[in-house]
Amino acid sequence: MHVKKYWLKCLHRLQKGPGYTYKELLVWYCDNTNTHGPKRIIREGPKKKAVWFALTLLFTSLVCWQWGVFVRTYLSWEVSVSLSMGFKTMDFPAVTICNASPFQYSKVRHLLKDLDELMEAVLQRILAPELSRVNATETLNFAVWNHTPLVFINEQNPQHPVVLDLFEDSYGGSTNSSLAPERSCSAPRCKIAMRLCSRNGTTCSFRTFSSATQAVTEWYTLQATNIFAQVPNKELVAMGYPAERMILACLFGAEPCNYRNFTPIFHPDYGNCYIFNWGVKEKALPSANPGAEFGLKLILDMGQKDYVPFLTSTAGVRLMLHEQRSFPFIRDEGIYAMSGTETSIGVLVDKLERKGEPYSQCTVNGSDVPVRNLYRNYSDYITTYSIQACIRSCFQDHVVRHCHCGHYLYPLPPGEKYCNSQEFPDWAYCYSALRMSLAQRETCIDVCKESCNDTQYKMTISMADWPSESSEDWIFHVLSEERDQSTNITLSRQGIVKLNIYFQEFNYRTIEESAANNIVWLLSNLGGQFGFWMGGSVLCLIEFGEIVIDFVWITIIRLVALAKSLRQRRARARYAGPPPTVAELVEAHANLGFQPDPLRRPSCASRPRPPEQAPPIPGTPPPNYDSLRLQPLDVIESDSEGDAV
Amino acid sequence: MAPGEKIKAKIKKSLPVTGPQAPTVKELMRWYCLNTNTHGCRRIVVSRGRLRRLLWILFTLTAVALIFWQCALLILSFYTVSVSIKVHFQKLDFPAVTICNINPYKYSAVRDLLAELEQETRGALKTLYGFSEITSRKRREAEPGDSAREGPGSKFLHLVPLLAFNQGETGKARDFLTGRKRKVSGNIIHKASDVMQVQDSKVVGFQLCPNDTSDCAVYTFSSGVNAIQEWYKLHYMNIMAQVPLEKKINMSYSAEELLVTCFFDGVSCDARNFTLFHHPMYGNCYTFNNRENETTLSTSMGGSEYGLQVILYVNEEEYNPFLVSSTGAKVIVHRQDEYPFIEDVGTEIETAMATSIGMHLTESFKLSEPYSQCTEDGSDVPVENIYKAAYSLQICLHSCFQAKMVEKCGCAQYSMPLPREASYCNYQQHPSWMYCYYQLSQAFVQEELGCQSVCREACSFKEWTLTTSLAQWPSEVSEKWLLSVLTWDQGQQIKKKLNKTDLAKLLIFYKDLNQRSIMESPANSIEMLLSNIGGQLGLWMSCSVVCVIEIIEVFFIDSLSIIARHQWHKAKEWWARRQAPPCPEAPPSPRGRDNPALNMDDDLPTFTSALRLPPAPAAPVPGTPPPRYNTLRLERAFSSQLTDTQVPSES
Repeated sequence: MHVKKYWLKCLHRLQKGPGYTYKELLVWYCDNTNTHGPKRIIREGPKKKAVWFALTLLFTSLVCWQWGVFVRTYLSWEVSVSLSMGFKTMDFPAVTICNASPFQYSKVRHLLKDLDELMEAVLQRILAPELSRVNATETLNFAVWNHTPLVFINEQNPQHPVVLDLFEDSYGGSTNSSLAPERSCSAPRCKIAMRLCSRNGTTCSFRTFSSATQAVTEWYTLQATNIFAQVPNKELVAMGYPAERMILACLFGAEPCNYRNFTPIFHPDYGNCYIFNWGVKEKALPSANPGAEFGLKLILDMGQKDYVPFLTSTAGVRLMLHEQRSFPFIRDEGIYAMSGTETSIGVLVDKLERKGEPYSQCTVNGSDVPVRNLYRNYSDYITTYSIQACIRSCFQDHVVRHCHCGHYLYPLPPGEKYCNSQEFPDWAYCYSALRMSLAQRETCIDVCKESCNDTQYKMTISMADWPSESSEDWIFHVLSEERDQSTNITLSRQGIVKLNIYFQEFNYRTIEESAANNIVWLLSNLGGQFGFWMGGSVLCLIEFGEIVIDFVWITIIRLVALAKSLRQRRARARYAGPPPTVAELVEAHANLGFQPDPLRRPSCASRPRPPEQAPPIPGTPPPNYDSLRLQPLDVIESDSEGDAV
Repeated sequence: MAPGEKIKAKIKKSLPVTGPQAPTVKELMRWYCLNTNTHGCRRIVVSRGRLRRLLWILFTLTAVALIFWQCALLILSFYTVSVSIKVHFQKLDFPAVTICNINPYKYSAVRDLLAELEQETRGALKTLYGFSEITSRKRREAEPGDSAREGPGSKFLHLVPLLAFNQGETGKARDFLTGRKRKVSGNIIHKASDVMQVQDSKVVGFQLCPNDTSDCAVYTFSSGVNAIQEWYKLHYMNIMAQVPLEKKINMSYSAEELLVTCFFDGVSCDARNFTLFHHPMYGNCYTFNNRENETTLSTSMGGSEYGLQVILYVNEEEYNPFLVSSTGAKVIVHRQDEYPFIEDVGTEIETAMATSIGMHLTESFKLSEPYSQCTEDGSDVPVENIYKAAYSLQICLHSCFQAKMVEKCGCAQYSMPLPREASYCNYQQHPSWMYCYYQLSQAFVQEELGCQSVCREACSFKEWTLTTSLAQWPSEVSEKWLLSVLTWDQGQQIKKKLNKTDLAKLLIFYKDLNQRSIMESPANSIEMLLSNIGGQLGLWMSCSVVCVIEIIEVFFIDSLSIIARHQWHKAKEWWARRQAPPCPEAPPSPRGRDNPALNMDDDLPTFTSALRLPPAPAAPVPGTPPPRYNTLRLERAFSSQLTDTQVPSES
């Protein structure tokens, strides 16, 4: 109903024609708008008019430009940060403690027996080749050796490097007879390399090392990894250091604690690790006071005598502070504590809270990252997302995809197996190729996103000798008695470590992001600019929009009128096709006594006919806008004038 | 009427009126208040009642004052910065790592140069403390005929005598060399006495005299250890300053010797990955990841496996007993183009230990002029950079000191690079340089040289925060095999079995790849300032730049020209009266509105009275002149366009 009415109105208006011309509309707008410039244009004399016109144009373009700047600034999603520092009661960080050696040598000796014998033979071969040649080889297990042997590369002649197996005779093109006296090679001339061969030994690559130390260490680690990968997890845990042997004393604030307060997890690098205050099962413990008296005090025994000799050469306790429920990547972020010392660690919690999309590319819980987090269910504990976990999961995915087995140091995806030489003969070759490829690492960095809440623990570390010489005896005595129920001293300065972990006087520093430019900021600046240059507001924009609509409306009406007149002209043109017939037609409708003037006839199309002729011939309607003209304007003006007087 | 005047009138009629359209300033003000776009003024005119008008005047003035105040605040706070801290996880460039042995030169190689000095030092120790060589060290057997050369020497003690003072008798001192007491003239400078009270009975020091030996300065120390080390260092620098660089490099450690193994990012590396850097006080240092024409190494994983792992050979037997008293190596992490100030900011590494250094990268960017006083590349600092490295505050201070040293003492100090056209100080050429140097360094520390005020900090810098932890290395059970394999590795360089106190293991790695950047950015831009000012103007008075232009137009141009016109008329009248004093035809007051002479003038009666009158003909008809303020009348805005519509509305 309404629509119909509206359309009727439109039609009516179309027939009646527009109320204004363009010029009238513009003048009316300029006089009545609330923006400051246009009024001046029409109120002043011609010179000033020009000046004001230029000024208005200038200001309009300035406003448009500035608005562009502001909108672009807003869309760049910048953040501002606020930094706060101080002390407050906070959850004590989770503390992960590992031993540098993953296993007790006494318990893994049976697994590593063959390997160790081989290793000793290798060392002998390297250090004293003449002696070892005699008693070598008969008892050794060469199954392990033949898979990835160590070789000498003699680079005396750079064009033809000679490759020698440590135990067998030479490979390569050269004859072995001439090389026999040269088997004793020393460091600068000879390099030791690891030969890694793919399937069936068809393609081999040599991984060279600048020093023998690295070569034998890497080789041993590779072989040991191979062996441990085949042992079920439960047995590995049993071979590591048990909590009750490692954690001798524990004190948190004034409350005593013991090894049962620690959550054990198995870490492939460091064996059994123990986490204090992890918060996966129980509530996290808060600490409300700064200072060593209110922190965590631990006495640990790392049992250095029982280290696996070839696997780790560094002796110490590895420890790391991390957030509750997050997985400790202790190999990357851990620090060492030395035996025979007391290590004091003051902690400052450095927290960063990012704003999420669209301000930065961070993720809250990792659910929107296209990598499955393999650490999420790490030995039945649910851990939170971190970018380290993501990168490692991504790497393990790559290993599984390329080598068809999972690397021992990372968690297994479901349904996959750890790599070992028996089942996957060329995994070592495949893995080391993958590890060296930079492209692979960079894809993982690109795929993984940072987490929005990032906590770091800044540590201030200081050390002192502990126990002191005078107190050494009784301390060792008491601790031995407690642990082993023996009167003999079973501990030594080489194995004992004391740790104090506590909050510093300022224990937090929080960096919080907030949006630098919000919508209110944008609006107030847009308003400020518009107001500054032209004194305008949103209503002025609406006014402007109204005028634009009117403009369009006038144009439509004009176009319609034009079309109408064109049609009429065409109609007339059809009649006037051959001049004589037109004359006849005219004669038919016209006064018969009237003689048409032949000169006037061709140009008469748009001329208004005399009133007698009008009804029969369709012609341009007479202009009838008079009533619509600017009367209302005049009324307004006189009003304002009355005001002024 | 004359034809000339007629034409003039015609021109005036056909051409629009120029100049202000109000006859008086008051009219102009009234017109302005009614027609201005600002909000307060209109109220002043429109309000009825004096009190109300007064209030509105007050409000308007207050608003104007507030605008001025707020805008002044905005402009004053324009050059402020806002700081943003960003943390990014990304692939990071590995920094350059410079490693030095604490001992600069192999003692066996430099002994020939230092033999005399050593002998005198031992002699001084013996006379003062009764220190006898027999009980000291195993090194003694290597020394040939120690006491044989006692006779001729002691030139060092002559040059700079070591003195012992007894508390109480300040003027007297005992010379170590002669054992005699001698009078000490000049000022005595206590190195320690500013900081702490020295109650010791025995004070040790040395005396420095300039050339003419009239103005001596005595430097005293609370402990003989410090005194003897400083004294030794002075002479040592003097001797080494005369040794050419190639010889010094040869006397120091080679890269193969220092670095037993090297491992970076899972790949083996060796001495070729290190570049030599000769430091005057630390001898040969080696910088990793600083090769020219090579890409900077980067890490895409955090953790110790992916960083730099080196085992260093620190041969304690080759240490200089008087120059260095600690054992180990020094390491510094720095930018590739930065100069490693190893003596100032190095981290020391212990032997028989694994030192693991975890790094966090922080980058800072400051805004330079006009926000702060920092400098982008040091080109605008009036101190010549004598180091071949990028600008830093430290470099500037050292360069400044060295320049002053060359200027004041005529020679350059040994521990810093040589400026152009200068040589290192030594006794032969500059006998009094030591005195000069001590004076100068005293002045430098007390900021009297002006270096601290001339040098400015750099605008951007990278900082690596280090977390150092120590562990025992090698472990008891791995010690045996590890040492023998390492000995094999060193092979040719050394001819002895390595001891674990000769070795140090160092791990440098990124703990994680989080890069923290602290950036300053301008808190205000010119757009912000304008929009804030616009906000203030709009809030208090709904004013804009257009209003400001209006104000300028009305208050300065129009009102001034009105006043000027008034004055012009007065002057004209006065002139006319003087020209024709008795003029019976003309009425005495020419200002009447019926005066035909005034008809041609711009000055017209108030427009309200003339408003309704029809336009007067141009002919000199006596009567009311036509209103000329067409443009002032509001409806006239349309007069030119809408003549047809106006006729019926007005009639």
